[in-house]
Amino acid sequence: MAGTITVDGLSKKFRKWSPDEPMTFQEVLLRGLRRKRRDYFWALTGVSFRVTPGRMVGIMGFNGAGKSTLLRLVAGVGRPTEGKIELRGRVGAILDLGVGFNPELTGRENIYVSGVCSGLTRREVRERFDSIVDFSELHEFLDFPLRTYSTGMHVRLAFAVASHIEPEVLLVDEVLAVGDLAFQKKCMDRMKAFKMNGCTGLIVSHAPQAILTMCDDAIWLDHGRVVAFGPARDVVGQYVEATGTARKMPETPTMPPEGAAVPSPIDQTVSEPGVPATSAVADQPDSAP
Amino acid sequence: MASSIAQWTFSRRVTQRRDLLRELLVRDMKLRYKRSYLGIAWTLVNPAAQVIVYYFVFRILFKVPTQNYTTYIFIGITAWNWFQAAVLESTMAILANRDLIRQPAFPSALLPNVTVGSHLIHFLLTFPILIGLVIVNGIPVTAALLWLPVVIAVQYLMILSWSILAACVHVNFRDTQYLLGVFLMLGFFLTPILYDVAIVPEKYRRFYQLNPMTHLVEAYRTILIRGETPHLLALTAVAGISAVLLWVFYQLFQRASATFVEEF
Repeated sequence: MAGTITVDGLSKKFRKWSPDEPMTFQEVLLRGLRRKRRDYFWALTGVSFRVTPGRMVGIMGFNGAGKSTLLRLVAGVGRPTEGKIELRGRVGAILDLGVGFNPELTGRENIYVSGVCSGLTRREVRERFDSIVDFSELHEFLDFPLRTYSTGMHVRLAFAVASHIEPEVLLVDEVLAVGDLAFQKKCMDRMKAFKMNGCTGLIVSHAPQAILTMCDDAIWLDHGRVVAFGPARDVVGQYVEATGTARKMPETPTMPPEGAAVPSPIDQTVSEPGVPATSAVADQPDSAP
Repeated sequence: MASSIAQWTFSRRVTQRRDLLRELLVRDMKLRYKRSYLGIAWTLVNPAAQVIVYYFVFRILFKVPTQNYTTYIFIGITAWNWFQAAVLESTMAILANRDLIRQPAFPSALLPNVTVGSHLIHFLLTFPILIGLVIVNGIPVTAALLWLPVVIAVQYLMILSWSILAACVHVNFRDTQYLLGVFLMLGFFLTPILYDVAIVPEKYRRFYQLNPMTHLVEAYRTILIRGETPHLLALTAVAGISAVLLWVFYQLFQRASATFVEEF
């Protein structure tokens, strides 16, 4: 396994949608042909980091911080405005759940469509079929149309398919908090299995606990900038403190992430000087659903 | 993860693309007439109704003298329907598959292929009826029939080029669908589908020669009704020009595809 992610000076600019902008010919005529200056906003500015083989990096940040944009650009979906992304290794992404799903098709049919749309061949889907079904625990519903599934069942099937890809570089966008607690635990175990297999990864999550469990390092993104980047424990601590949800806790976190104290092989650590690294960890993350 | 994935080789990539095309085609076919009572039979109802109406108007009211008129217009109508339905539907190929094009390294150019391919299958499904009409009308079936796959391949190429253009233009310019509707309606009557190109006055004839559908419809009729080898020079020209256009439109498509995800 030799997955590497190098992001260098990455910036992404989006056009701001303005309600004044003429959308139809009719509107153009009505408001005359004066041209309005287009507004832009920067979803990401000067983001640089490097993930070496076998490391899992969590990405945290408030809504609108640019996490998903970053992940999507790394996945090669969309084009950076500035900067470079270099990826080595086979990329697999869980950015959306239920890729290619259709409510009219049965669970079985959807597993095939979705698996192949996620980059597997038919044969690979066939080989993994039983494992996917076992994971989703939907054996007796396989031949019913997806529209008859409950939301929970739908999501379980979707995650089961999505997590049966076998990437060298794994990109995951906030999809882990699905299903009931038992299923979430399963998802978590699945992610750990990826890590055990030497997968390199970028994982967006709002749950500090999830990042601590799965990731070696973490990036805190705010308004498109990297606020902190370093060992998961430190960055999660800073983030939780900044959110104001950190409760007074004993110094030792209840669940010490293995290897969290090991210095990261990452050559570059962007850290805001004012924010002290802290090991305070909320053991009941507020963002847990 | 018990089993290990096959090597990420070139051949695996080819297999993956093929499987992807197949799965999407099957999905499209399954969904098209899902939960309708007539199901796939709708593929035949539509051209049959068109043939009946046009037969009444042009044969019975206007007394068009063309021989074997039913077979004659049936070929034209089904070949045209393939073109029209595929190009028109391709406008939604990208927009309706947002989840797919958000996948890393998803070959978005495959999506117009799915649309064209799906309508090709519908076109092929009308062939038993067509051959039946040929036999019922006592038209001799000859070895010229072997040219059919060639003509179909040329038409696929032609349709694909325009479908790829329609798919990427519609993402940013949503009037495409409506504009196409108008052009296709004009195109239907400006292509010799309901009449013979021979009745077109000389001075308009060369405009007809610019229309690839003219040559394709002619080729189908030459093969099926006259039982002769189609005009190979015309077919080669259509294939050549379509190949060039396909290349140009594909470049446009690839260029536009980088920002597809931002345009929803």
